Amino acid sequence: MDWSALLLSLKLGALTVAFLLPLGIGIGRLLATRDFPGKDLVEALIALPLILPPTVLGYYLLVAFGRAAPLGVLWQSLFGHPLAFSFEGLLFASLLFNLPFAIQPIQRGFEAIAPDVREAAACCGLRPLAVLARVDLPLAWPSVLTAMVLSFAHTLGEFGVVLMVGGNIPGETRTIAIAIYDRVQAFDNAAAGIMSALLLAIALLTIALSFALGRRLLPPRRP
Amino acid sequence: MSGLHVRLRQAGPIPLAVAFSAAPGELVALFGPSGSGKSTILRAIAGLYRPRSGRIAVDGTVWFDAGRGRFLPPWQRRVGLVFQSYALFPHLSARGNVMAALGHLPRAARRARAQELLEQVHLAALAERRPAMLSGGEQQRVALARALAREPHVLLLDEPFSAVDRMTRESLYRELAQIRRRLAVPAILVTHDLEEACLLADRLCLLDRGRILQEGPPAEVVARPVSAAAARAVGHRNIFSGRLVRDPGGGAGIAWCTRRLVVDAPPAIPDGAAVDWSIPPHAVEFTSAEAGDATGTVIERLRLGETEIIRLALDPDHATLTVHLPSSEAQEALAPGARVACRFPAAAIHVMLQGDAAGADAGGDGGNGGADETGAWQARSP
Amino acid sequence: MKGTLSRILAIAQRWVAAAAAAMPAFFAAAGGAQAMAGAPPLRIAAASDLQFALPEIAAAFKAESGIAVRSSFGSSGNLMRQIMAGAPFDIFLSADEAYAQRLIAAGDARGPGLIYAAGRLVLLLPKDSPLRLDPTLDDLRAALGDGRLGRFAIANPAHAPYGMRARDVLRRAGLWEAIAPHLVYGENVAQAAQFALSGAAAGGIVAYSLARAPGIDARARSVLLPADRHRPLRQRAVLTALAPPAAARFLGFLASPTARRILARYGFTLPREGS
Repeated sequence: MDWSALLLSLKLGALTVAFLLPLGIGIGRLLATRDFPGKDLVEALIALPLILPPTVLGYYLLVAFGRAAPLGVLWQSLFGHPLAFSFEGLLFASLLFNLPFAIQPIQRGFEAIAPDVREAAACCGLRPLAVLARVDLPLAWPSVLTAMVLSFAHTLGEFGVVLMVGGNIPGETRTIAIAIYDRVQAFDNAAAGIMSALLLAIALLTIALSFALGRRLLPPRRP
Repeated sequence: MSGLHVRLRQAGPIPLAVAFSAAPGELVALFGPSGSGKSTILRAIAGLYRPRSGRIAVDGTVWFDAGRGRFLPPWQRRVGLVFQSYALFPHLSARGNVMAALGHLPRAARRARAQELLEQVHLAALAERRPAMLSGGEQQRVALARALAREPHVLLLDEPFSAVDRMTRESLYRELAQIRRRLAVPAILVTHDLEEACLLADRLCLLDRGRILQEGPPAEVVARPVSAAAARAVGHRNIFSGRLVRDPGGGAGIAWCTRRLVVDAPPAIPDGAAVDWSIPPHAVEFTSAEAGDATGTVIERLRLGETEIIRLALDPDHATLTVHLPSSEAQEALAPGARVACRFPAAAIHVMLQGDAAGADAGGDGGNGGADETGAWQARSP
Repeated sequence: MKGTLSRILAIAQRWVAAAAAAMPAFFAAAGGAQAMAGAPPLRIAAASDLQFALPEIAAAFKAESGIAVRSSFGSSGNLMRQIMAGAPFDIFLSADEAYAQRLIAAGDARGPGLIYAAGRLVLLLPKDSPLRLDPTLDDLRAALGDGRLGRFAIANPAHAPYGMRARDVLRRAGLWEAIAPHLVYGENVAQAAQFALSGAAAGGIVAYSLARAPGIDARARSVLLPADRHRPLRQRAVLTALAPPAAARFLGFLASPTARRILARYGFTLPREGS
């Protein structure tokens, strides 16, 4: 049982959610309420990680993080070490490949709010940020929760991109998913089995929790 | 300048060319078919829509002035807007909905004031209920209370009663009438229900494709439309064109195709002018061929309630005439194919000058007397 | 209404502040080690044939010097590529000195390092394999002919030294063309051995050091393949450009009697003392 790998995975998941929460709400609301030229393209780009093989994403990230690429050079100059094969690189990659999981449910949740409810809020004297806080979020928060839970669970399970971008560096980029792979290669099926079971349990728990919460807080049906 | 003053103009996407005002305490109804721009005008007043050009001012404060680039967003305007779909906040109780509009009061005072407003609309007992637990009429009352909570300078009602049943609607009319007595602000009601407009409004604005055809007290507008378009808008049926002919002796008539009618002509219309005229279906009388003004053939006969609706094709131009008769008076002989004659009592004929200032049939853009400084585009009823 | 909002905002603010405050700690913990007093652990990128030998060597090194070691295993080619891309390793233990030399040429490692061992190949067969333990590979040839052979595992010749040598052997025996459709490639030689052990493959050609791992006898049999059938596996250790001074000590330890004993136990051929 590789506790540092588990801790690393949980940390990665938690930080991903922390960053994607405001990003998901902001972008999700924008896409739900406004129309602008190129909106279709933006939505397609956001959905891309859903269908792209993880290795493709991993490949492009490696190139972007590389020592010759602008992003890699910038990072190296700022922090003194490369972005690839580091926890920060993983976090970066995690934010990207979780975009559809974070944004799409939230966008649907905001879209489900009738536009005239927002207009009514504006006519009640509420400024746009107040409308977000007092109308949109209270109505769409199950979607926000779903998005965060999905992102967290997906991060725990992501393998291909993590392996390509992070390598298998203990304490730095060896997430629990990688650790399982690592243990199998070391003929240590016992450890692999324990970690797999734990991951399965965590995944089931988080998904079940989010469904139960979401259902509990739906509006009551009209009698 | 107190009250609401609106002047809007744009070519598209929804064409608008209107100017009107509403005094404090006055309810102006914007009436017209779908697409006539009435909801757009309302939303422009609320700040939910930004027109290409124009000006909106309320009690001296300019809310919108395209020329000066001034546009206040809705939350900076004191409007109360009642939506057709209620648009209540589903996650808040009735009281919560009303309190949402009380941001201008100190927190401690909001709950009590919300309760007060709910009492005004007779919903105090349901203050805790969520919208999902309220009937349509109750929801609309909450929406009204919420609109009033804002202490608006203009009250805007966007077809607020079209989604409720008739009985509820009537009690809501009474509700609104009571509230209006206390409220000293202009109110604009958008509706496609003429009866409702006549019941509630002090002034009626007929809208068609973004223009005001006619404006005035509802009874006036309905009884004496100034143009064929206005007449059609208020439901006049038998609208025809002809030429006014004045007798040297002081009488007047209309040359209508090959026919000649006697009318009480309004003095403003010169001899020989092209006119439109209309007559209510119930005023047409059947008579003998010698005494009649026109002859024709019955093409359709329908019964609706206690009324027979008979349509005639008149000689020689097959102009369609609609006649309403009480079923008790209608004879068997008035069947499709029968030849009949009818007369048009002069008192029932309403004459309108063609090509009037607000004649929408004139077509083209801005062809109806351009905008002067105050932007008076509308025609007022005499 | 306002009360709820400000309460939510307050909670959110606290949460964001906590996350922000914790972030440096996270990064520090992620980047650094649970450093006990003393030097941070050495980060070693090791070829997969050292999967079992290296932990023992590391333990002995720790006992002697007090310096901990953290290892990552993979194919030598893969690890070289990662180090070239900036992966944070201090020492590279390559199964093929060519990769180490490329790293030195690229400026990512400091030469010359040292040759710590030479590797050998074995034919590894799981207990229930239809193949016979024949170091001449004649049985393999027969199996190709009579259909006994399903899958055969080797490491990926594209970037794993043991895979390249396995290919050498098979070519030398004239079997490469015939066996190619049956081959399943492991990412590294340990994964190839895993395939062979699991029974997914009828057998494989893998590292001798893996066949010497404890507990393998229960699951498989193996036989050494003659060393003259393939290019030699000269295994070189080098310090990377990131290596701290303590890393050189580990390199020295690899040549020590303790380490050599461990390597010998795992079937590595040792360089002459002092070479």
